[in-house]
Amino acid sequence: MNVHVRNRIQSREDQVLESSLVPTQIEFRNVSKSYGAVAAVRDLSLSVGRGEFLTVLGPSGSGKTTTLMLLAGFEAPTKGEILIAGKSVGSVPSYQRDQGVVFQSYALFPHLSVRRNLEFPLEMRGIKAGERLARVDRILQRVHLGELSDRMPVQLSGGQQQRVALARALIADPPVLLLDEPLSALDRNLREEMQGEIKNLHQEFGITTICVTHDQEEALTLSDRIVVMRAGRIEQTNTPEALYDRPATRFVASFLGEANFLESPFFEIESDPPQPVDTVPMIRPERLGITTLTAPRKPDADRRHAVTGTVDDMIYAGPVRKYNVRVGNCVLVVREHVTSGQHTFQRGDEVRLDWLRSDVRFVAG
Amino acid sequence: MLQKLGRIPIGLTLPALAILLVVMGIPMVRLFLASINAPAFSLSNYQAFFSQPANVRVLFQTIEVSAVATALCVIIGYPTAYLISAAPKRLQLTLIVLVLIPYLTSFLARTYAWVVILGDHGLINTLLLNGGVISSPLPLIYNRMAVYISMVHIMLPVMILPLVSVMMGIDKSLVAAARSMGARPSAAFWRVFFPLSMPGVRSGSLLVFVICLGFYITPAALGGLRDAMLSTFIASQVQTSFNVARLAASAFILLAVAGVVLSMIGLDLSDTQGRTAQRTQRARQRRLPPFGALRRYFGEGADHYRAKRWMANLYQAGREDPWSILEILYIILVMTYLLLPGVVVIIMSFSAGTYLEMPPSAISLRWYRSFFQDPSWNGAAWTSIQIGAMVTILSTIVGTLAAYGLSRTSSQLRGSLTMVLLAPITFPSIVVAIAAYLGLVNLGLIGTRTGIVLSHSIGAICYVVVIVSATLATFDRRLEQAAKSMRAGPLQTFMRVTLPLIRPGIIGGAVFAFIHSFDEVVISSMVSGFSIRTLPLKMWENMRNEIDPTIAAVASLLMLLPILWLGALYIFWWRSRPQLQSVATV
Repeated sequence: MNVHVRNRIQSREDQVLESSLVPTQIEFRNVSKSYGAVAAVRDLSLSVGRGEFLTVLGPSGSGKTTTLMLLAGFEAPTKGEILIAGKSVGSVPSYQRDQGVVFQSYALFPHLSVRRNLEFPLEMRGIKAGERLARVDRILQRVHLGELSDRMPVQLSGGQQQRVALARALIADPPVLLLDEPLSALDRNLREEMQGEIKNLHQEFGITTICVTHDQEEALTLSDRIVVMRAGRIEQTNTPEALYDRPATRFVASFLGEANFLESPFFEIESDPPQPVDTVPMIRPERLGITTLTAPRKPDADRRHAVTGTVDDMIYAGPVRKYNVRVGNCVLVVREHVTSGQHTFQRGDEVRLDWLRSDVRFVAG
Repeated sequence: MLQKLGRIPIGLTLPALAILLVVMGIPMVRLFLASINAPAFSLSNYQAFFSQPANVRVLFQTIEVSAVATALCVIIGYPTAYLISAAPKRLQLTLIVLVLIPYLTSFLARTYAWVVILGDHGLINTLLLNGGVISSPLPLIYNRMAVYISMVHIMLPVMILPLVSVMMGIDKSLVAAARSMGARPSAAFWRVFFPLSMPGVRSGSLLVFVICLGFYITPAALGGLRDAMLSTFIASQVQTSFNVARLAASAFILLAVAGVVLSMIGLDLSDTQGRTAQRTQRARQRRLPPFGALRRYFGEGADHYRAKRWMANLYQAGREDPWSILEILYIILVMTYLLLPGVVVIIMSFSAGTYLEMPPSAISLRWYRSFFQDPSWNGAAWTSIQIGAMVTILSTIVGTLAAYGLSRTSSQLRGSLTMVLLAPITFPSIVVAIAAYLGLVNLGLIGTRTGIVLSHSIGAICYVVVIVSATLATFDRRLEQAAKSMRAGPLQTFMRVTLPLIRPGIIGGAVFAFIHSFDEVVISSMVSGFSIRTLPLKMWENMRNEIDPTIAAVASLLMLLPILWLGALYIFWWRSRPQLQSVATV
């Protein structure tokens, strides 16, 4: 039942997407991978267009890293087929596939200088020393590391190592770039900077990129399309915006951002058109309005649904303020942008919450 | 060819297993069969062994001496290791080197040093006689006390080094945390530091105990007639009557004792191991107590990335309070015990008289001249160098392949295969010697260089496997994946990425392989067939017959070797990390 509902919601969106796609670069056909009795990836089918930036997002153990390892050729699928540029690569060892990989810990060769690290993929492709020199210089310029070419990897900061790893993956112009949690080792500020850098490089090189991460922000910022995985299966695939705005399942709704599930019959959510019985109404915290009980009615009040509740908790987080509001036996999260002259509620205040009926989404429970 | 082998990693262990099987494995099986099958199947050989009270006495004496020596090593070694681990960085490094020097010194030379010090005409008696304290020499040598003094001297570094490495790995902030929670210093030590250091105590004790069980040269050189160990007993059986069945029974009894005691200690203490220890590592060690101990021990010494961690730990290792006078005295005393015998021999080797004096009444180089001019001495040295070089080459290649293969196989298989491969250094050496003798008889290689090289290699391979495995254990497999993602084939990946990164481990293995061969006397004495004389054989013969002070010159020269080894290891381990050095300058 559940799966059926999800598929229905999903297929609607997939049709829109796939029809607009450029030629397919990578295709997974019913791929499964198990380690003994443990199934890491189950019946995965997915196609990635040329030049697309696709992020595989999921919690640890969802099979996202296995998916990447299968694509890189470090693991062989138990069942199914993987095609790159239309050719099955099932039996092709990793070193005969043309791809750049950025590893989670960067995997820079500790015994080689930055320059020698960058030369490595060129050497393996039999490129002459003169051209290697030129290409290394060019890419060092591009990632702003020109003056560090003789350093050893341990002498670099985390951000610099990340740049070298990216440069090393891109230097041989592979048609496919694989990123394994590329930013997880960096601190927050650097992460934002590198997100921009990765995005720029992707646009510049026009390279098909598959990125694996558990960080939703990274996924939303970088990707053309996101695949959400759970327990070895694809939960939903869509553009970042569509995925956030129209999650297909409860899991996607709560993994990507925060979600209030209006499950209690208390909310009296009526749906039009009627939704299947096992869907749950959901609303994002920023779609909820919070006012005092005595506030005047809004002009669009007839399109709104309102409830009253008590503030349990207020959390101030810079640009936004979060309230946990107890409504009946549920707690709803409200996120409000901080503006001047705004009424601030305290713990114990009686408040009215309201939302546009059109902002409610129905997700598979 | 190599690429194909690379796909079946287990295949890389085949050369090592083949050598082991031919030289030692098959003969061991035949020995065992002989022990229960002469003439028909029966336990009569074992019954015969136990029916003689003298045999039983030797057996218990062996266990007793080993246990006492091990206990003494713990008692002396633990505080030493604790003080070293808490010392300031520079002093700490110096102290570790001072412990390493005797460890790397020929044990024949060190045994000889004690003969020189404790003998009737030795250092102590001479000094006391000259000082008029005594009128006739004290019986310091050829008794149990002399055996303990020299055994503990020889085994102490084997205890201290693993202890130091474990203690340096203990996060000192844990002790600080305990103190912040109101624990007095002594309570913080006993409740936090001591339990966490138990793995080191266990590793060290197992290692010391198993080596002591097989001691042969030292008790024979310094003990009285009543201090025979089982190894001495077996060796004398070989010389008097080569009754294979009797011999086999004694050998297997010794082996059984080692096995039983080891598994008891191993199981018992493993429960007190720190709970924070990695589970996989724990499981491996529980399954293979002696192997785990060895591996931990060599791993700590060998692995240069770990050495990097040591360096990092050095910064937090300092205690708030400097050493007290008592502690300084203690360290000086222990270091003197470890190093003085060598110094004494070196000084005495310059004696001008026809026998050794302390202090020498006149200085001369006559015993050095005698070493370099007497063909029986320098010929023996040259033979040993050649054999050592061949053993080093063979065992480094075969051992590295095996270690690489082992690192690629499932952990279960790896455990049992490694245990098999390490038999030559976990079994008492006299047992290995007898097996190797039979193995080489079958091959017709007794009294040949090839035979000696093979019989040394089975042990040397162990050192290479242990040290290279330890290096591979911390080697990041993703670097190989990275290389392969950049179109490097398996062979290119190994040559360009894996090999350069594990090279320090390979060099370390090679050094230990050479030391093993260059110092080996028990196996050599069995398989040389009197036609090949290695340096240790010549020294051993000399010591037993007390003829020629040239041995003092030889021992002194051998004591210079560790400096060479440490220099080599320094160059390859420390200098191979330009990364670390330059980080400091950045």
